[in-house]
Amino acid sequence: MGVDGPLFKRALLGSLIWLGTNHEEVNRLNVFPVPDGDTGTNMLLTLQSAVEDVKESNAAEVSKIAKLASHGSLMGARGNSGVILSQIFRGFARAVEGKSSLTPAELAAAFEEAANAAYRAVNKPTEGTILTVAREAGRAAAAAASGMDTNVPRVIAAAAAGARAAVLKTPSQLQILRDAGVVDAGGYGLQLILEGMLKTVEESEPAAAMLAEARKPISPASQVSLALPEGGWGYCTEFLIEGMNLDTELIRGQIEALGNSVLVVGEPELVKVHVHTDDPTSVINLAGGYGKLLKLNVGDMSTQHRRILETEGGTATSAPRPNGIGIVAVVAGRGLVEIFRGLGVDAIIEGGQTMNPSTQDMLTAIESVPYDEVVLLPNNGNVIPAAKQVIGLTKKKVHVVETHSVPQGVSAVVAFRPERPADENLRAMKAEAERVQTIEVTHAVRDTRSNGVKVKKGDVIGLINDRLEFAGADYADVIKQALGKLGPDAYELVTVYRGQQATDAEMSRLESEIRNNYPSLEVEVQQGGQQHYPFILSVE
Amino acid sequence: MKRSFAVVTDSTADLPDEWRDRYGIEVVPLKVLFGTETFRDRVDMTDEQFFARLAASSALPKTSAPSPGEFAEVYRRLAKHHDGCISIHIGEQLSATAEAARVGASSVVGFPVNVVDSQTVSMPIAFLCRVAAESPTLADATEAVQRRVPKCRVLALLDTLRYIEMGGRVSRAQAMIGTMLDLKPLLLVADREIKSVDRVRTRSRAIPRMVEFFRTEMPVETLAVMHAQAPDEAEEIASELRRELPDLDVPIGQIGCVLGTHTGPKALGLVYLKA
Repeated sequence: MGVDGPLFKRALLGSLIWLGTNHEEVNRLNVFPVPDGDTGTNMLLTLQSAVEDVKESNAAEVSKIAKLASHGSLMGARGNSGVILSQIFRGFARAVEGKSSLTPAELAAAFEEAANAAYRAVNKPTEGTILTVAREAGRAAAAAASGMDTNVPRVIAAAAAGARAAVLKTPSQLQILRDAGVVDAGGYGLQLILEGMLKTVEESEPAAAMLAEARKPISPASQVSLALPEGGWGYCTEFLIEGMNLDTELIRGQIEALGNSVLVVGEPELVKVHVHTDDPTSVINLAGGYGKLLKLNVGDMSTQHRRILETEGGTATSAPRPNGIGIVAVVAGRGLVEIFRGLGVDAIIEGGQTMNPSTQDMLTAIESVPYDEVVLLPNNGNVIPAAKQVIGLTKKKVHVVETHSVPQGVSAVVAFRPERPADENLRAMKAEAERVQTIEVTHAVRDTRSNGVKVKKGDVIGLINDRLEFAGADYADVIKQALGKLGPDAYELVTVYRGQQATDAEMSRLESEIRNNYPSLEVEVQQGGQQHYPFILSVE
Repeated sequence: MKRSFAVVTDSTADLPDEWRDRYGIEVVPLKVLFGTETFRDRVDMTDEQFFARLAASSALPKTSAPSPGEFAEVYRRLAKHHDGCISIHIGEQLSATAEAARVGASSVVGFPVNVVDSQTVSMPIAFLCRVAAESPTLADATEAVQRRVPKCRVLALLDTLRYIEMGGRVSRAQAMIGTMLDLKPLLLVADREIKSVDRVRTRSRAIPRMVEFFRTEMPVETLAVMHAQAPDEAEEIASELRRELPDLDVPIGQIGCVLGTHTGPKALGLVYLKA
């Protein structure tokens, strides 16, 4: 059996179906060269355009079908991978020019020429991409064609297997893939195209087994751009929800209450969820209410993290800062820890209001960061004295930016610029910390009178910049008064850090109170997870 | 006197209509895909329609470069009345457009096309097109444009990192923005890179920071203020800078659909060529 026009046409249709089935998986792999998340879509649309022209034709000659595919793919080419795919078709069409049917050897030669054409078309060919995969597929096909009792399905099967082997090797060729923990998307797309051909052409057993083999291990895309917390706690929980009219925002909000590093993305029919949680069961129960759960995966994060550190040779930290300054902060509450980490803090000392860390605790943290100059953020008035003690206890140069609250700490970190010298950073961090207003609400632990406000044990009390200003029975009321006292016209944004004790009902009541009474203020809610203070507000 | 060569760009140049008509510049549209619906940037959809749809859409649209075939068609048409062409496009670190132009050009025999990777996006490309259009010959145009490519800058203030992050052009780590807080990133497109210049919590404080940073970049050859659905703020910034730079014409430009997909609404930008 040779490859004639009708067979090649059928093979292209098979490719289209197979790539169509799997293109979302390709999208998820995309990190190079233009990280769009749409390599799969681009390749599919390019291939679709190729097949559109082919579908109309009843040509008996393979050369005619190949020429149509080449023209159609060129017209429809999208994205880098799509353009390269169109060049692969162009090379293939040239190689089979004038032929009505291809022998196994001619088919293999055409695969090789297709890869060569793709290399020629690209300005600066990069290894570890679709180009490499095309070349390796061509080589494998050529090797199979020179074998003893060769035939067309074997050549295609060899090309698909060669492609797959090359795809799996792409992370060793490109740092960016290695960092993201994925294989090259365009190369994988090409593998799918070859597999699709094989599925249509293949009838004999052995090659079908090779295909099944070829589909197995593809690196999960779920690891892409997800930084794991350094401590390594909880369970990394991932799954898909299949349902109808799924509201990603709503689901995200609910999942966020149960963990960190929350990622909820997708379409109304299919949503991908990723969360780090101590309580995977609750997450799964919650999600199960929305639809069918697919591809559920719960992993122990501490082992996962160790594994990643090992594979990267223990260099999981980010690039060193040009100004050589580290940041250390005192923070309590899982959400707040994550916020500070996300903003670039190098080490965190657990502590705060009721759990004041020792000078030694802070010293240890400062010694642990790879910088000789360190900015220390106490983030609490009670911590500042101990923090100042650290200066002089270490050879490192320590600057304490006296932040009295979480909002002040956040503002200070946001103002830090890694390329700016120390004195400028300190000035900016201090100025930003002083600019922000802090409102904290908690419960009075005893009867007292402070700043002219009489409070009874258990009352809700509101503090503005550490000063007791209001007492009442209700968080939202106290906060409303505090915002009124600050004068909302002078401010733009309220960030609410929600503490552990605050319930969903209290949270939504607070949000609507602020929005109704102060419509000019933007409100952003963050899961702080702090104890004792159901709400901390940053007003700026 | 009629130019013997044509000037081609793509829709991400945010080329003002008036320049397009005055200089006879050919604009090849990129595409925006909402699900399975494809729109040609600024052809099938106005900027207003786009941002309205962006706001209403739950899934973000995708963008795609013109195909080589589409470029080939434009070049073939231009070949009838010109003896060559300079084709200036969005930076290759951001889009496959220039590559498509190059492949498209290779299929048009006997018509020289100088494809220029501008390394940038938005109105700096329009400035380069104007330089090209005012040059006497294709060789002069190419030389003058290439010389200015390293001087192109885009200083962009995004209202949120959400869009550019979803588009994959910038990660939160690159923008030095954590995973949680909604910070407004101030980004600089220069030297084939997108660099984080600053991160600010509120918009009213972010705008002066952008202008402040721009002042450290002076002197400049040309300057424009760009916006996505924020004309009033753009006007304010422009009049402030016009007072400071009385010799410069400081036009205000609108960010188109393809670029808007990545900046999101309410983005502001100062775009310029360093002197």
